[in-house]
Amino acid sequence: MLSITSVSKTFFPGTVNERRALVDVDLEMAEGDFVTVIGSNGAGKSTLLNTVAGRIIQDDGVVALDGKDVSRLKEHQRAARVGRVFQDPMAGTAPNLTIEENLSLADRRGKMRGLARGVTKAKRERFAEALTQLELGLEKRLKTKVGLLSGGQRQALSLLMATYSDPRVLLLDEHTAALDPQRAELVTRLTRSVVEEKGLTTLMVTHNMVQALEVGNRLIMMHEGRIILDVDAERKSQMTPEDLLAEFGKLKGAVVDDKTMLQ
Amino acid sequence: MITALELGLIYAIMALGVYLTFRILNFPDLTVDGSFTSGAATAAILITNGVNPFLATAAAFVVGCLAGLITGLLHTKGNINGLLAGILTMIGLYSINLRIMGGANVPLLGQDTMISALRSVAGVGWTSVLVLAAVAVIFKLVMDWYLHTDNGLALQATGDNEQMIRSFAVSTDRQKITGLMLSNGLVGISGAVVAQHQGFADIGMGIGLILVGLASVIVGQAIFGTRTVFQATLAVVLGAVIYRLAIQLALNVGLNPNDMKLMSAVLVVAALLLPQWKASPSSPAVARGAQR
Repeated sequence: MLSITSVSKTFFPGTVNERRALVDVDLEMAEGDFVTVIGSNGAGKSTLLNTVAGRIIQDDGVVALDGKDVSRLKEHQRAARVGRVFQDPMAGTAPNLTIEENLSLADRRGKMRGLARGVTKAKRERFAEALTQLELGLEKRLKTKVGLLSGGQRQALSLLMATYSDPRVLLLDEHTAALDPQRAELVTRLTRSVVEEKGLTTLMVTHNMVQALEVGNRLIMMHEGRIILDVDAERKSQMTPEDLLAEFGKLKGAVVDDKTMLQ
Repeated sequence: MITALELGLIYAIMALGVYLTFRILNFPDLTVDGSFTSGAATAAILITNGVNPFLATAAAFVVGCLAGLITGLLHTKGNINGLLAGILTMIGLYSINLRIMGGANVPLLGQDTMISALRSVAGVGWTSVLVLAAVAVIFKLVMDWYLHTDNGLALQATGDNEQMIRSFAVSTDRQKITGLMLSNGLVGISGAVVAQHQGFADIGMGIGLILVGLASVIVGQAIFGTRTVFQATLAVVLGAVIYRLAIQLALNVGLNPNDMKLMSAVLVVAALLLPQWKASPSSPAVARGAQR
């Protein structure tokens, strides 16, 4: 479904700041796989996601979607089949447009954007129904500008928008990290239910080891641009956060950042 | 007074174009100084060659769009800073405008123009103002409609949150080019009608026009608000009229016409600074909010 083959990326090559963000990474994801990605800071987690999204173009290797090499496609071209939720709750929505206008933009993913009316009565009803699932009462505020919503509300809306038009791949880049625990819990719950309901092939980066173990059917750990651990569903269900920390401990020079330790 | 109202309503079409780039795309586009004259020059030369003035004005729209296309390509495909891309096109257009006109000036006296047609029906008075107001309102309503289509929403999102709209498979490059083309097309139309109104096209008529556009947008929106697109575009049209009336007033009290550009600049600076002073120092977000 999504296959990443021998992908490498080096930032600032040939300078003192040279950083090998991805080193010969291979990852094969089957349809409906929900993979959580953990790793220390600078392990290459976000770079991996950005390489799939097309925001960063790899130096070597191939990113293929449904068996087709998409390495040469630009970000917006890949986005026709790739949905994304960013860490920053402000990043995934347009603040000066209303909730229904934002959803209408999401609804047209991968389709022609012509001169038809963006929000029609029929669409409005569909949007309201979808918003009900969030249980935030947003279905009653369709004409509210998104900039007036709280971070948690915006992130829940971002998730709904990213998954609304059934992308082939969903990329989640620490999308609960900037939220308070209660909102993070809500967004995590929504993520699980939407991924399950739609059977989305999902790649989720997280700092939270508990979340990484609870969510998804596979876990990978990255370190210094490499995938150093790949845990399948069965083994994952028996692992504890302590086991993961122990894995970190085995690495030479791995510094578990404070955020991870605190969780 | 009547003339000032008429001119204000004609310049309102230009101000709508500036609104599209400056407010919607968040792109201060200096191309307009050149494309305004290009529109005027194209229409004037076609009219003197016997072309129907409505067709000539439509041609001005096309030429304006082409100017916007060049700026758009320089900015998106050439990765040139937006301000510089606009300046480059504007400077280049100066020579092109001279070529189009074959000189620095094309008189339209005695020619059949859209304005002479208006005069033969409505003369100079409230009727003619009303007709031009209706035209400006039609342009405003068409823009309202466009901004609420799928394409228009993608354009709005491009100015609002580029990263977001790209993640929904929109080419922000293409949206920016579309916006710049439409904007400069409107500016071209406005230039064509102004030339027909004043009875000549002149190489210098677009100089400093971006300030007129910005003043109209900023002053209009400061007074009439921007809560919805409908309200924002109405504010732009009214802002253009108010600006023209203010200029007229200044001339009536005996100010030197040569000082008008300086006055425009001061007016825009004041309109940009005043909202910031109103906000308390502890809430810079308020000042930033007022920018939009």
